[in-house]
Amino acid sequence: MAESSKAPTETAPAVELEHVSKSFGSKVVLNDVSLRVDRGSIMVMLGPSGTGKSVLLRCLVGLLKPDQGAVKVFGEDVAALDESRRADREALFRVRRRFGMLFQDGALFDDMNVAENVAFPMRLHTRLGEEEMRARVMDKLARVGLPGTEDKFPSELSGGMRKRVAFARAIALEPDIVLCDEPSSGLDPVMSATLDELILEMHRTLGLTFIVISHDTAEARKIADTIGMLANGRLVTYGPAKQVFEENHPALNQFFTRATQGPIKVV
Amino acid sequence: MIRGFPAFVVRAVRAQFSSIPPREVFVPQFVDAGYGSLMLLTILTFFAGLNLAVQSFGPFSRIGAQDMLGMFAGIGGVRELFPVMAAVVGGARIGANVAASLANMKISEQIEALEVMGIDPIRYLIVPRIWAVTLALPLLCGYCNVIGLASAYGGAVYQLGNDPGTFVHQVMEQVSAFDLAAGMIKGAFMGWGVGLISCFHGYSIQKRDGAEGVGIATNLAIVNGAVFCIVTNLLMSWIMYG
Amino acid sequence: MMGGVQRFLSFLGAVLIALVTRPRYGVETLRLMQVIAMRCIIPVSLAVAPVGAVISLQGVQIFQLFGAERLLSSFLGMAIFREYSPALASVMVAAQAGSSIAARIGTMRVRGQIDALAVMSVDPIRYVVVPGVLACVVITPLLSVLTNILGLFSGWVFAVPLGGIDHGAFMEHLTEQVTAMDLWVGLIKCAIFGTGVGLIAGFLGLAVERGAAQVGKAANDTVVSTIVLILFTDYVFSVALMEAGL
Repeated sequence: MAESSKAPTETAPAVELEHVSKSFGSKVVLNDVSLRVDRGSIMVMLGPSGTGKSVLLRCLVGLLKPDQGAVKVFGEDVAALDESRRADREALFRVRRRFGMLFQDGALFDDMNVAENVAFPMRLHTRLGEEEMRARVMDKLARVGLPGTEDKFPSELSGGMRKRVAFARAIALEPDIVLCDEPSSGLDPVMSATLDELILEMHRTLGLTFIVISHDTAEARKIADTIGMLANGRLVTYGPAKQVFEENHPALNQFFTRATQGPIKVV
Repeated sequence: MIRGFPAFVVRAVRAQFSSIPPREVFVPQFVDAGYGSLMLLTILTFFAGLNLAVQSFGPFSRIGAQDMLGMFAGIGGVRELFPVMAAVVGGARIGANVAASLANMKISEQIEALEVMGIDPIRYLIVPRIWAVTLALPLLCGYCNVIGLASAYGGAVYQLGNDPGTFVHQVMEQVSAFDLAAGMIKGAFMGWGVGLISCFHGYSIQKRDGAEGVGIATNLAIVNGAVFCIVTNLLMSWIMYG
Repeated sequence: MMGGVQRFLSFLGAVLIALVTRPRYGVETLRLMQVIAMRCIIPVSLAVAPVGAVISLQGVQIFQLFGAERLLSSFLGMAIFREYSPALASVMVAAQAGSSIAARIGTMRVRGQIDALAVMSVDPIRYVVVPGVLACVVITPLLSVLTNILGLFSGWVFAVPLGGIDHGAFMEHLTEQVTAMDLWVGLIKCAIFGTGVGLIAGFLGLAVERGAAQVGKAANDTVVSTIVLILFTDYVFSVALMEAGL
């Protein structure tokens, strides 16, 4: 594990979930999920589509509120914050600023070019001058391997490029935790491997904590320190990658072998 | 789709009056709403003004009042037709743009991205759009009054042979500063409503609605905005002139 | 620009050919008529009904100026039947049906359903566009009949109970001055405007290539360009009818 460039002073783990449950109507998407993500690690959460992986991510940043349980980010319980109260909203925004998030299709702002997209969080949350900001944008774009694209608009980029720009935007404020929502979806194998290497590279050079949700088992094998598996709303297995692979839980095995029969029910 | 509208209005209006909209969002929205609608409204009011003269000529001559077109254009046009047309058509165009762009941001997760960056989308996206429409529509209503009167004059004098002096005299006599102000006040109210309605429909779309959701939001924004403008116009006319 | 005109003309040709040759999709057309009628009836009523009220509200004052309040109803009748009911009903059909037809076709394009139809040897113009056009042509005049009644009624409310005009005089002058010609002019205009709504919505919907943003733009452009078309045609109509002395 590389040493972190800006190690948080507290000692709490990056993320800790305690008995988190969430339902939409009668559909239970998270059922008593508890887990912990250490600082500076890469956690990959596997699971079939529609099993609450995205809901889990959104609970972490307070976009969704769990029905029960605590969501602790560096020791602060995000789930207990009420966005309609001013003090809590500020606390929530403070927590969110420690996150960078890579959305499924990038979620770049259509009406801004690449440089403006990457600079956007800096413009709103820092007092950097234009030149300093420009320099940082160039640095982030170089890190994701896209120098020279700063004047292009999102509509002119390929899917893989859009995701890499979104990556640059996610790390623009030098967050502590980067959340990745299906980084490999919609990409060809070569491009998704490139993205995986980017994650490893950022992890090595910046010491960031990564929480990745995915249904790509090859990706999990390549990058994960810790692996979890969500199936039918339950966290069926969770632990260090090596241990999880050895244990070979039936649901995970079904996922790896692409079997249609097994604990994961096809609806 | 109307469920949640009152709660949205409370949230948006509270944000509207408790913060200054970010200039970099407001200015382009205002320019698009105002300047972007000028061409369309110029063409429309030109024909509406001509039409007002030509259409009323028939009925008026049946009752022997064919020389009263100036008065009719003054009262009917300035008090009602031109402002309400500016609001309905301008509002449809602006509201559709607002709803479509917000819905598109919603389905491509751009709004969630803002929230993750610690930015309140209501303050950052909704409030500047509502202000832009609220401020642009009264200006457009005033502009349409000018264009509409000019083209009604053209129709009455050059096409129907009315006496120019009589026309101008009747307009000056019938149209007061109050009427012009009333048109703009109506415009501000209608703009505010169109802003809230179109933002609500755009913002209510969820990611799973996909491209279809953008179409639905656009459609609802246009239709509900237009109905709102016409009904509001009647109520305000009733209060001011009834 | 010229390319656009050319594309529209060839689209128009394809629609015309589809109209006069088989196969025809009657069931789909009837279904669309029902959908459009149900969706439009409330917004169109809500939008057109206040117009009669506004005419009475302002008209009472105008006609009082030269002591001819009694003639208000005849003006109201002509204005509603010939002008405002057809024009506004059509504008609202454009807003509701036009934008939703364009959005629906645009969504089908984005999802590849239009291509899927073509692969299944179903001509999208025949199956998707023509029923929409026919539905608009039929439904717009029907809605305008309804709005004629609503407009007259709301005009009556603001003239008689609220405006102080005598009920007998209102009714007498209404039937005295309004001719069957006024009604027919209104209905024919509606059918023509409805054709425009259906054609423009189909054309702009099919022109969508990809992306959700274009779907919204197609819906928006349909409304804006049909309203321009309606007002322009309306003016040409008025002038032509005036010249013809109708």
